[in-house]
Amino acid sequence: MPRYTHIMLTLVLIFLILPGNILAGPVVDQVGRTLVVPENPTRVIALAPSITEIIYDLGQEERLVGVTQYSTYPPEAESLPRVGSYVRLDIEKIVALKPDLCIATKDGNPKHIVDKIVSLGIPVYVINPRNLQQIMDTITRLGSLLRAEQAAKELVSDMEKRIGRVQARVKKGDHRPRVFFQIDAEPLFSAGTDTFIHELIELAGGINTTAGEVSYPRYSWEDIIVLQPEIVMISSMAGGLAPEYLLNSWKKWNLLSAVKNDKVFVVDAELFDRPTPRLIDGLEVIAAIIHPELFIKSNNQTEE
Amino acid sequence: MSMPIGKKIVLTTLLLGTVLILVSIIAISAGSAGVHFWETLEFLTGKSIPDNATATIIYQIRLPRVILAAFVGGSLALGGLVFQALLRNPLAEPYILGISGGSAIGAILAMLIGLSYFPGVTIFSFTGSLLVLAFVTTLAGTTMGNTMLSRDSLLLGGVMMNAFCAAVIMFLISMTRSFQVQHILYWLMGDLATMQKEQLPILLLVLPCFMVIFILARPMNLLLLGRETAAAMGINVKNIVLLLLVITSLMVSIIVSLSGLIGFVGLVIPHIFRLLLGPDHRLLVPSCLVGGASYLILCDLLARILPSSGELPVGIITALIGAPLFIVLLLRNRA
Repeated sequence: MPRYTHIMLTLVLIFLILPGNILAGPVVDQVGRTLVVPENPTRVIALAPSITEIIYDLGQEERLVGVTQYSTYPPEAESLPRVGSYVRLDIEKIVALKPDLCIATKDGNPKHIVDKIVSLGIPVYVINPRNLQQIMDTITRLGSLLRAEQAAKELVSDMEKRIGRVQARVKKGDHRPRVFFQIDAEPLFSAGTDTFIHELIELAGGINTTAGEVSYPRYSWEDIIVLQPEIVMISSMAGGLAPEYLLNSWKKWNLLSAVKNDKVFVVDAELFDRPTPRLIDGLEVIAAIIHPELFIKSNNQTEE
Repeated sequence: MSMPIGKKIVLTTLLLGTVLILVSIIAISAGSAGVHFWETLEFLTGKSIPDNATATIIYQIRLPRVILAAFVGGSLALGGLVFQALLRNPLAEPYILGISGGSAIGAILAMLIGLSYFPGVTIFSFTGSLLVLAFVTTLAGTTMGNTMLSRDSLLLGGVMMNAFCAAVIMFLISMTRSFQVQHILYWLMGDLATMQKEQLPILLLVLPCFMVIFILARPMNLLLLGRETAAAMGINVKNIVLLLLVITSLMVSIIVSLSGLIGFVGLVIPHIFRLLLGPDHRLLVPSCLVGGASYLILCDLLARILPSSGELPVGIITALIGAPLFIVLLLRNRA
């Protein structure tokens, strides 16, 4: 009998190891490329911080063997090997880590580098989330790629629930304030229509004053005075400047109703600059700022 | 010195060729994934077989890059040598004369329009370099051989052309959508990392340029004696000068469109070899070619291994070495 269990154990071990080499059928990634991926990828490299974050959210961090510079969330990700920054990937390091799957983003990773990784025989799955709905789609896709369908489903339904909650409350408001979202200072940049920030402002019941074709339009103070924002939000990363400095740069324009009514806020940049579930945290923060009357006071973050 | 010139050429080239091979092996064995000189030597001599990842790193990542560095270094050194001979100015160099800048404008325009690297970017870049070349040489009045304007006016013309090109490049960049900017900026700094394997065959185009320049090495020697003397010795000065200028600009444009702006290689290398070997271009042409190749392979190796993470654009390394040397040469010329 003991010998029998021994053989069983060996067989079980073999089966545990084997799937790593089995290739799943071809899959189509989010930019329409067809590629063959391992059925159970065990050596994954995330080529952008947002991808690292989603993999952690799915509880699949054990598959990660490499991440990019600035993969700072969650903090545990900082101990993983780095393969350069997402725009300047270190291909040699990537190959040396022997990945069986790389996950890239169309927005950040230069196409010719992705092509090069593919030409070296490493499958690269490219994601391209352009809005909240597509982020959820991305999570579902990565969930099935990394055999974490259940975790993905829970994550997505939680996101949907929270978005629904915000929408339900915002519906009760009768006024849509004009919002100016400053993503960078000196020079001053804001967010156009094709951005997550625009989507979040609109979902949170505000009007994005800088909606327009250009994704990240540059603004002058003259333009801003013409725009007459009622609420100003400043990304905490803007220009690498201190929050007090950023707030002060608005103070002198007290002909703006946002300044007159003390509606200038610094918001945590981390919640807005990556296409991950944390954008929903950002949505809740923005909603509480735009419609404080509809949200519990404790939701209100980093008020001036 | 009594050695016949043919033997001298063969010996020097063999010696420099050995250095080139050695430098290449070192460059292939080192990188961000680690430095493994002896192991690489064993792989290359077939004593052991590298595992999959190592083989990929050596043959598909480092080797193409070393080949590119060799071609770029050789071409730029040769370009510098030719310009210095034709313009009879030891400080002439494609980068300093603004010719690289002109070809960069052409290349960036082509990139923004969305043309492919070849032939689109190369043709635009060639056109840009020819325009600047025509302007700078006309300004200095040296091309057609009647006046001997001072070398300062040539250099000043080049420096101004460079500044003008830089302004146009900045303008183009300021009009560019964000994700392209990164790529163009790194390319401008002189970068061998963005090289793709498919671009390697383009490099073969510079081989005929090398040949023409080598064949014209003797006339170049005579040009150094002065245009009148060269003409008296049966040289068709105008045609030869024109041919050399166009061929060299073509060579530089092909290189710039692949690797961006890498400065000072054409200054450092010809100077070293003129010091070592004397002024005979039959000896200098092959030496600069092979020596320039080794030099840029070494600079690129530094660019790859110096930073603890990521890498530097190689143009920064060549400029850090070359610019101080330029100043030293300038001071010595004045003295």
